[in-house]
Amino acid sequence: MSIAMAERAKLEALRARFGAAIRRADLPGNGRMFVTVDPAAIREICRHVFREMGARYVISIGADDRPFSGEFLVAHNFAFDGDGVLCGLLAHLPGDRPALDSISDVVPAANWAEREFRDLVGIEPMGHRYPKRLVLPDGWPEGVHPLRKDVSWDDVPKDFDEDLEFKFDEAPDGCVVVPFGPFHPTLDEPAHFRLYVEGEMVRGCEYRGFMAHRGIEKLAESVLSYNDIPMMAERICGICGCVHSVAYVQAVEDAAGVRVPERAEYIRTIMLEMERLHSHLLWVGLACHIVGFDTLFMQSFRIREPIMWMAERMTGNRKTYALCLVGGVRWDIAPETGAALRGVLDTLEKEWRGVVDAVTGDRNIQARTRGVGVAGPDLVKDVGLVGPVARASGVAIDCRRDHPYAAYGRVAFEVITERGGDVWSRIVVRMKEVFESIGIIRQCLDKMSPGPIQARVDDELPVGRMGLSSVEAPRGEAHHFLVTGEGNRPRRWRVRAPTYQNLQGVPAMIRDQQLADMTIALGSIDPCFSCTDRMETVDVRSGLRRTWTQEDLVRLLKKGGA
Amino acid sequence: MSLLSKVKEALVCLRAGRVTLPYPAAPRPVAGNFRGRPIFDAAKCIGCGGCAANCPAREILIHDVCQEIRVLRYVGRRCTYCGRCADVCPEKAITMSTDFETATDAIGDIGQTIELFMSTCQRCGRCFKEPSPLERLKQKGYRFDDLAHDRWVFGSRAYLDTERAVDDIRIEMD
Repeated sequence: MSIAMAERAKLEALRARFGAAIRRADLPGNGRMFVTVDPAAIREICRHVFREMGARYVISIGADDRPFSGEFLVAHNFAFDGDGVLCGLLAHLPGDRPALDSISDVVPAANWAEREFRDLVGIEPMGHRYPKRLVLPDGWPEGVHPLRKDVSWDDVPKDFDEDLEFKFDEAPDGCVVVPFGPFHPTLDEPAHFRLYVEGEMVRGCEYRGFMAHRGIEKLAESVLSYNDIPMMAERICGICGCVHSVAYVQAVEDAAGVRVPERAEYIRTIMLEMERLHSHLLWVGLACHIVGFDTLFMQSFRIREPIMWMAERMTGNRKTYALCLVGGVRWDIAPETGAALRGVLDTLEKEWRGVVDAVTGDRNIQARTRGVGVAGPDLVKDVGLVGPVARASGVAIDCRRDHPYAAYGRVAFEVITERGGDVWSRIVVRMKEVFESIGIIRQCLDKMSPGPIQARVDDELPVGRMGLSSVEAPRGEAHHFLVTGEGNRPRRWRVRAPTYQNLQGVPAMIRDQQLADMTIALGSIDPCFSCTDRMETVDVRSGLRRTWTQEDLVRLLKKGGA
Repeated sequence: MSLLSKVKEALVCLRAGRVTLPYPAAPRPVAGNFRGRPIFDAAKCIGCGGCAANCPAREILIHDVCQEIRVLRYVGRRCTYCGRCADVCPEKAITMSTDFETATDAIGDIGQTIELFMSTCQRCGRCFKEPSPLERLKQKGYRFDDLAHDRWVFGSRAYLDTERAVDDIRIEMD
């Protein structure tokens, strides 16, 4: 069944079930569906799409559309992975009363996303089972919603109490609270877990994160312009930066109908796979480091290094490639660079095979990772887990195959799955995916032909169009939603990083596990807090009991500097 | 089985040998197209402001002192070395150097300030030919970035004014 037919069939099924509640539908025919529905029916429609039609929950977006239509906008995005369709269910809410039914009881994965638009846009998810603040710190005044259009990007409310400590929930009876983070040897970035521990066993936890907000989405909507944002999107994540850069430009291209030259698509694919290679090698090393197996940590990093040098030769930088612009890429791959890349891949493949061969028989590392941090297929579905975490549980989802973008439709590769659902399975999946990535890059080098790498953009981009883009990051699906806007910049841009969903699965993964396994269970989703926290303009350090106050630290820093 | 894998792991390490480079005792050359600190060539710059308008980090400031003198300052604090300034420069006055050892405790070491004599073009005043509509100048005319505080001012004016333009965000955007 073609994608266009699949879209039509989905729409007919929705119309037959909900009739007049389906107000409008746009099917551009490229695997995207935008269905405007009656807000009163949103909960039932989402339940039907999620449970009966088997869609995967992706993300919910709230947007302030009042300057343009006088309304607020909510989009619940779902993916039909088997049919290659990404679907946005849109609800328009009156500008004076932005509220709609929460879907988090029927779609548990929407928990964070709904709390986020409640915090940032001020849209109330009515009936949410845990309507605690997610993104905004507790000291932020009520009623100030930073992503509303009438709030300037550099506003800080006068009554914002930066030093107010977090209000935490009560620990259950019989449990002791063990704080984990914001600073912890195995966390590269700040996040705070309050673990409820009974004896040695973790019984539950409360998560407070979003301590590294940088306000990237607000900047994009109010200060930057279309071709500035790829460089900024790249800084959402230090590991999968190119993923966000590609996902953003694809969302713009999807919305504005810009066609990308074929060679540019191949180059994007090659660089995305380069990024996956270095990320998988890095993560396998880090996972070994967390369980105390530093030998493999060192060897992974040694084997990874030539990839970084190669990336520098191809793009001018080992990590932040600054590769994408709307409509193409900036750096071409010269024939001799391609040849050198093949050499690097050959060495990598040989060396990595030696490591995989050695590690798969190692009982020590298996004893430490088997049966730890287990996520079953039901949890994958309910919480919307993505990437290697889902594939290690036997759920074969991979955007590269399910929603082909760039040149992935023209190369052959296998989606690696395992059945265990535990940390060991995740290690195995990521170790094996390295070989698939090597294969994809080789095929791209074989298939790409000379040609332009940048499409001509002769007109200003149309206004008010929506675009969706899913890119398979090393950790899972990165999803970008974009509405084009006036003034050479988007009206709304929403980034859903893979960790955003995977982190929501951590409380279930660590429940009834040993406290000592917390580090590797959390490490196994390869958490990227800078991705997840990409949003706000506030820097919050108030969750800490400290001897040093923030002012002290700042003063100390300034004294050391110029 | 497990013992065998330990032997294999030991072999992986032994075969690799010593790989640590003697950097910084010995220099480490970078690839030819490496993007390090940008260098501005005052002799080539025409002061069109294309780099400033397309700098994602907003680290290139422009201040018009009078009709004839425009100051262009590259601050370099948040610069991500993306090289967009060099891309869009119509005169190729910006080179991405191979200089990556930019750690300093005095930020002025990295910055560059250029004073430009602007001979006014009778046709359009300041010339910038954008590669596509996505790069068009969002701030036309005279600009008054805050050089005292190294701060970008979101505004430009069609006329020179003796009044301070800082904090004036009721701007004439096109």
